Amino acid sequence: MNGYNFAYLDEQTKRMIRRGLLKAVAIPGYQVPFGGREMPMPYGWGTGGMQLTASILGEDDVLKVIDQGADDTTNAVSIRAFFERVAGVETTTDTAAADVIQTRHRIPETPLSAGQVLVFQVPIPEPLRFIEPSEEETRVMHALEEYGVMHVKLYEDIARHGHIATTYAYPVKVDGRYVTDPSPIPKFDNPKLHMSDALMLFGAGREKRLYAIPPHTRVESLDFEDHPFEIQAWDAPCAMCGARDSFLDEVITDDAGGRMFVCSDTDYCQKCREEVA
Amino acid sequence: MYVAVKGGEQAIANAHRWLADRRRGDRDRAELSVDQLAGQLNLAVDRVMAEASLYDPELAALALKQASGDLVEAVFLLRAYRTTLPRLAETVALDTGAMRIERRISATYKDVPGGQVLGPTYDYTHRLLDFLQLAEGEVPEPARAEAALEACPPILEQLDAEGLIEREVDDGAAPYDITRDPPDFPVDRATRLQMLARGDEGYLLALGYSTQRGYGRNHPFAGEIRIGQVEVEIVVEEHDGPVCIGEIAISECQMINQFAGSREMAPQFTRGYGLAFGRNERKAMAMALVDRALRAEELGEPVESPAQQAEFVLAHADSVEASGFVSHLKLPHYVDFQSELELLRRLRRAHGEPQSGGDEDSSEVADGGSGAQAPADTHPPSETEQVAP
Amino acid sequence: MMRWPAFSDPVHDGQRHFRRVLAAMAEPGTLHVAAAPAVPEDAAIGPALWATLLSLCDLDTRLWIAPGLEAGGLTGALSFHTGCRLTAAPEDADFALVTPGTLAEPAPLFAEGSDAYPDRSTTLLVVLEALAEGDAWRLAGHGIPDTRGLDLGEAGPLMTRLAANRARFPRGLDAILTCGERLAAMPRSTRIEANVADIRQEECPCTSQ
Repeated sequence: MNGYNFAYLDEQTKRMIRRGLLKAVAIPGYQVPFGGREMPMPYGWGTGGMQLTASILGEDDVLKVIDQGADDTTNAVSIRAFFERVAGVETTTDTAAADVIQTRHRIPETPLSAGQVLVFQVPIPEPLRFIEPSEEETRVMHALEEYGVMHVKLYEDIARHGHIATTYAYPVKVDGRYVTDPSPIPKFDNPKLHMSDALMLFGAGREKRLYAIPPHTRVESLDFEDHPFEIQAWDAPCAMCGARDSFLDEVITDDAGGRMFVCSDTDYCQKCREEVA
Repeated sequence: MYVAVKGGEQAIANAHRWLADRRRGDRDRAELSVDQLAGQLNLAVDRVMAEASLYDPELAALALKQASGDLVEAVFLLRAYRTTLPRLAETVALDTGAMRIERRISATYKDVPGGQVLGPTYDYTHRLLDFLQLAEGEVPEPARAEAALEACPPILEQLDAEGLIEREVDDGAAPYDITRDPPDFPVDRATRLQMLARGDEGYLLALGYSTQRGYGRNHPFAGEIRIGQVEVEIVVEEHDGPVCIGEIAISECQMINQFAGSREMAPQFTRGYGLAFGRNERKAMAMALVDRALRAEELGEPVESPAQQAEFVLAHADSVEASGFVSHLKLPHYVDFQSELELLRRLRRAHGEPQSGGDEDSSEVADGGSGAQAPADTHPPSETEQVAP
Repeated sequence: MMRWPAFSDPVHDGQRHFRRVLAAMAEPGTLHVAAAPAVPEDAAIGPALWATLLSLCDLDTRLWIAPGLEAGGLTGALSFHTGCRLTAAPEDADFALVTPGTLAEPAPLFAEGSDAYPDRSTTLLVVLEALAEGDAWRLAGHGIPDTRGLDLGEAGPLMTRLAANRARFPRGLDAILTCGERLAAMPRSTRIEANVADIRQEECPCTSQ
């Protein structure tokens, strides 16, 4: 594209990010500080994920971009168009056909396979941030593996509500060491992080942190013996494809309280409907 | 029948087309030129340059035009452009003492070597709308002095000579570069000043103001404010001495603040420093107040007020970061909201239940009211819990 | 012809090679083959390592080179193509070019990072005489479904050092292992065991297979 390097970022910035990614993969769940750059899109709209995607993407890669599980949400459309423009790569909505998938808030329902890379957009990478706002303090807590406050917080939920009241961005422990924010995916998706075949990279542009969960890595959602980790489930199947194993979005259908539930993963829903047909 | 929303791409394209039309406005009116903006809305252009950390009046004016005058958006446009530029050289530190002064005032001395120079200022204008500007009136040429200004030595140097104010020394360390490396809290003063220099003016103004009202008071005096042109120099190999590559306009503010002292050290005035590209006097003053407030710990003062808390102040000063993250709330959050909705419904059902009920059996739960909240023909999806495999 | 050959297409060749290194680091012990450029004349390193240097080093990185490995035009070629800075202080190095023997005691003190900043560590770029699937070293940990085995030829001091990583985690050294066009990686989190019964001293040269 006129005046810009392949995939927008200059090579020196890419190398800086690439070196950071190698560290991230070597220390799973540890947040590596990186010199995040301004992107031509606002902070908070996926600039971290985009910088990671731009740094790993090659001309032969096939790219998929989703937001809320869907390929056609406006921000997914916008980011996909950006990479088509600046990298000229082929794009797809088919989860299985993609080499690199950039996502916001979901992990695809179709199991990922070896060689695929899932890039998460992360708003607040620090899982302890809402308990301890100071970066100086949370850094020490990670260094000392001092995660008691997180359990206290979850337990306070139980005391007040009878349940752990965290439903998304549910904290995990990666490879038995780092408590890590899985980005605001619903806790429904947490089990997909565990022993995945795919490489998972996380980029937080505004906060200038990147981290990774390599393939075949233990990822446990924090819980208690008497309150084990649980995921959401629905009694009704998807109203469009009949899937019973996917995360469902609630859609309001009229102004009389009518509503229906459909797959948030549009590609999965489409595939299920094709199978039925 | 429900059909999933499609056509995001077309919607985006149409929205941008509409935006371009709105920007252009009435086609019967002349279009604004970038030259006009750079020349006549120069303070807006200066603010955009300062917060974008790129000195380029023409591109700042273009950003302003493209953003329809939205300063935060213009700063973002110019910043995003800045980040793509190669770094060709590093300049020698600017010598503000050698500034070609157009404005220079001190609130601490009645007269100073070089004199008080008001320059083009809004100070002492009566804020009465000038209805003549509705019509096209001629503006007279400015009055010009017969002789050039005398040399204007920095005022704080006078105090410095007497040992009345803390001396600032260059320790020669290479400054941390916040545009290349993420801030690593706690950060040193040079890093703090970099972050404040590109910080949002409104934010710094409010924080600086808060220190004047007692939240981290430090008794400031405007020791010197100077605005004018300084030369930018670089060192070129095979060339004796630095080479001037141009001039930029900057605003500098040196605050003189309450003195500190200890058994070992005689009391001295302390300093707060502000610097901004262009004519940004308010920004430079606010920055100097906040800089001084952030030195509380270093100067042995209690850290109690918002403006004194470095991580809080600095992590939220950047308008590009702040506006991005606030505006991202416009993006879809269906999935997280659905997760919360599901939990809240479950908690509300459990709330009305007798304690002994054990796990909820949602199909039998009446939700407090009439129980007719969902039409009978839709399948009320009663969420249950499953243990993850 | 070209004394200092490099990637014919720096942007895309660099990207492709980085993805190999990333995959190697994400799945420790897996072997990857670099479609690598010719190496600088008389250099003591192979194409996989040369490609790794070209794709990761630049003005912002400091490289430490073990005595003997700077042979040929390596430093000239490196500085020409990457601009990376050489350092004589191993603790300042982002990358260190070593052989397994470099890690023999007394070994250079490379940066291991701190508990707060474990990323501020030196990454070892290792020149091996052999690199193949095998049973000499059993690897386990993240990125490895069960266990994975490698033969590395004479690599005792290196592997002793890398095996010690576990005790200091998250501090530690990550290693990118190369032999000719082959490449594998061993991050600090990998658990390493010598398969004592099965160590065969015979060479398994990397040019075979």
